[in-house]
Amino acid sequence: MSAGRRLAVALAVLGATLAAVAAVSLFVGSAALSPGAVARALSGRAGAESVESIVTLQIRLPRVAAAALAGGALAVAGVAFQGLTRNPLAEPAVLGVSSGAAFGVVVAQIFGLGPSVLAALGVAGFAFAGALLAAAAVYLIAVVPGGLSIQTLLLAGVIVGIFFTSAITVLISIVDFNRLGGVVHWLLGNLAPIPAGSLALFAALALLGFWLVLRHARELNLLALGEEAAVQLGVDAERLKRRVFVAAALLTGTVVAFTGPIGFVGLVVPHLLRGLLGQDNRLLVPAALVGGGIFLLAADTLARNLISPAELSVGVITSFCGAPVFVYLLRTRYRVSL
Amino acid sequence: MTRARPLLLALAVALVAAPVDAVIVRDMLGHEVTLPRPPARIVSLVPAATEIIFALGAEDRLVGRTDYCEYPAAARAKASVGGMVNPSLETLVTLKPDLVIATDEGNREETFQQLARLRIPTYLVHATRLDALLDMIGRLGELTGRTTAVGPLTQDLTRRVDAVRRAVAPYPRPRVLYVIWPEPLIVPGRASLLTELIEVAGGDSVTGQQEQAYVRFSVEAAVALGPQVIVLADHASASGGVSGAGRPEPEKWRRFTSVPAIRAGRLYSVDLSILHRYGPTVVDGLESLARLIHPEAFR
Amino acid sequence: MSRLVEFAGVGFTYAQPERTREGGFTLADVSFAIEAGEVFGVIGPNSAGKTTLLRLLTRVVAPERGEVRLEGRPLSRLAHAELARRVAVVPQDAPRPFPFSVEQLVLMGRYPHGPGRFFESPEDRALARAAMAATGVLELAALPLEQLSGGERQRAMLARALAQAPTLLVLDEPTSHLDLRYQAETAALIQHVNAERGVTVLLVSHDLNLAAEVCDRLLLLSRGRVARVGAPAEVLRREALEAVFGCEVSVDVNPASGRPVVQVAWPRVRAGR
Repeated sequence: MSAGRRLAVALAVLGATLAAVAAVSLFVGSAALSPGAVARALSGRAGAESVESIVTLQIRLPRVAAAALAGGALAVAGVAFQGLTRNPLAEPAVLGVSSGAAFGVVVAQIFGLGPSVLAALGVAGFAFAGALLAAAAVYLIAVVPGGLSIQTLLLAGVIVGIFFTSAITVLISIVDFNRLGGVVHWLLGNLAPIPAGSLALFAALALLGFWLVLRHARELNLLALGEEAAVQLGVDAERLKRRVFVAAALLTGTVVAFTGPIGFVGLVVPHLLRGLLGQDNRLLVPAALVGGGIFLLAADTLARNLISPAELSVGVITSFCGAPVFVYLLRTRYRVSL
Repeated sequence: MTRARPLLLALAVALVAAPVDAVIVRDMLGHEVTLPRPPARIVSLVPAATEIIFALGAEDRLVGRTDYCEYPAAARAKASVGGMVNPSLETLVTLKPDLVIATDEGNREETFQQLARLRIPTYLVHATRLDALLDMIGRLGELTGRTTAVGPLTQDLTRRVDAVRRAVAPYPRPRVLYVIWPEPLIVPGRASLLTELIEVAGGDSVTGQQEQAYVRFSVEAAVALGPQVIVLADHASASGGVSGAGRPEPEKWRRFTSVPAIRAGRLYSVDLSILHRYGPTVVDGLESLARLIHPEAFR
Repeated sequence: MSRLVEFAGVGFTYAQPERTREGGFTLADVSFAIEAGEVFGVIGPNSAGKTTLLRLLTRVVAPERGEVRLEGRPLSRLAHAELARRVAVVPQDAPRPFPFSVEQLVLMGRYPHGPGRFFESPEDRALARAAMAATGVLELAALPLEQLSGGERQRAMLARALAQAPTLLVLDEPTSHLDLRYQAETAALIQHVNAERGVTVLLVSHDLNLAAEVCDRLLLLSRGRVARVGAPAEVLRREALEAVFGCEVSVDVNPASGRPVVQVAWPRVRAGR
């Protein structure tokens, strides 16, 4: 089967799975609505002010959309970083962008938005500012006379990430006790229903990042030959590295801005998909967009319902599920022998 | 006649459209809250407010609370929407509230935004002083239509507070260290109600000069302030005694033999969780605290 | 015979002189030409500049002085993809880690011919299969590259280069890690590719005898300069080799092919054995 055919089949299967998980997610929740009520709300037959309409259309539906988008964006960013650095451990958090964005949001939450340009954009603006700051720092540290050094990129990302995480810890230690709970809660990753306007912006940015990565998917494959060999095949390696880095940073910053930092998705989903589809990034990138959505949506559905009516942070679920899956992968597929 | 027609029509529409019972109030943070009618289905996200609503006898209007609203015991019969930081919006919406009471000290800004988007009126309270607490009782009385119950309640509380003030007035004020949480050491600062209560109870909080409400303090500094009375809050009952979290461990403090409180044997470990709830029962706690600080005043 | 490749007075220095003990490496005044259709070998000691020459030819680095020309046109005027359509490089080692299959590897060679295409065309796939057949790895097409033996890997890498349909095939130390059998195989493949497909071959090797057998002309590089250029019999002379390599050698003639055979004069330290 050619690559194109396999992609079509994979997308069909993943798409159907996403629809199924989304359906389950819409029908399950702490409000204990009957399936019939939810169906009525979805088809528009329930009154606009009725409980089922409000819960289904204003709470659950936006949240399902946010989870699918965030999961897809994080998974695509993971594929991008892993292809760029040729390192299976690379994920959005490793490149420091996640922590930078989180730092921006913590600053906003603690010091209040105040009168400024950033305040107009709200918390998302602060997140982007933080993400940009971190990405720029990583880039500047890693750039050498010849171009962007990938090994230095990884190290720089880890260091910048640690720096911003420490900065967050400092801020937390001085924050007003009452706000502490809220800040910590946000830092664990938090999918809440987002208003339609913001959701549209979120989708637009995520899809932009996705497209930027997708159009370079074939070249990312070639990078596996080694940078010099890729250049000899006609790939503009410097431009490729810059663009993929920016795209992955954009995807990560967007997700953190709207939903807080959520870990493990960018690490686990690409690896799971590789087991099914192989290494070709042209298949992995689109599959990750859908597969990541399935993963995070399932995790969020659990987070919402496990200790109902209280809610767990989705980051808790992804870590709990992600860590064992990753250990399993390390022991089976990535078995390293001496 | 034809000229007047549209005008009359507009007037008629306006009259019909305006809810007759609409109430517009200002909450304790100064925001305007519009209630289409007097609230009959209230969800309280604030344990103190839940307590006050019961104290005013307005619990029939309360349809929802948080997991932390456990006082009085009857409150547990009401449906819970989850935590203060992470309540479930879905459950909340199912309760069909026409008013949600929340606080900026314990609930999240995001929750208020979500409630605003769902067009559920939200009334914010903020009480870190005794007079604010009395104000909150009055406001909740108005919101629940139990204004007649406000007077007796506030007068009783005021009377008891004044009684404590008078009882401790003749005595010198000892330096009091109140330990909210032992590790890391958390003590009350100026913005905390506890500081005022200590002052009313006839003590001088050694950490009362700190700006914030809750301060992470160093044990050294606390010891260096030479408190004459040390009160260790015991949270074991609140956490169900699990894992000893919040157990005050007085032995650790007894090591500091240079501290006046230790030398005089005035180290107390008491379950004063009611002092941390900021409801009307805080006055019960105040009385207990005053007895600890000035036993001689209450013989 | 037209000149496919020309180096004209090329000079180049690496930017980080601290890297080498002598304090800097320079290629200086390198001029030579490769004729279309020939097998051209570059030989010399390890630090002579063979790899640098390759890098200049494939535009990984650019010369500071002089010019490199391909088919008469300066390299600087060629787009990277255009260059890749004409020049294919088989590197010394297969990349590691390399998680793709042999077929996926070979298909990568088709990239310069359609960089805008997302998926390869049926024509690309057919050409790839033909290249795999030419180097005898077609049966291994679906296997991951990492599961292949050294010789098989080399042939797969060669197939990728052939799939690029180049006019110039560059081989960087093609036999350095191979068993004797595969060395012989590689020598045969090089000649086969040159004869059947008319591909000009540039061979960089430290194996003097391989170069002598397979190449039409040789370039002897020494300390960044051209020491000799010409037919193997002219270049592989005892005095020249001893001067460049710094050790005693003897040069004989291979009776089967008539080509020079170079032998190191092994020192005898232990008397009487």
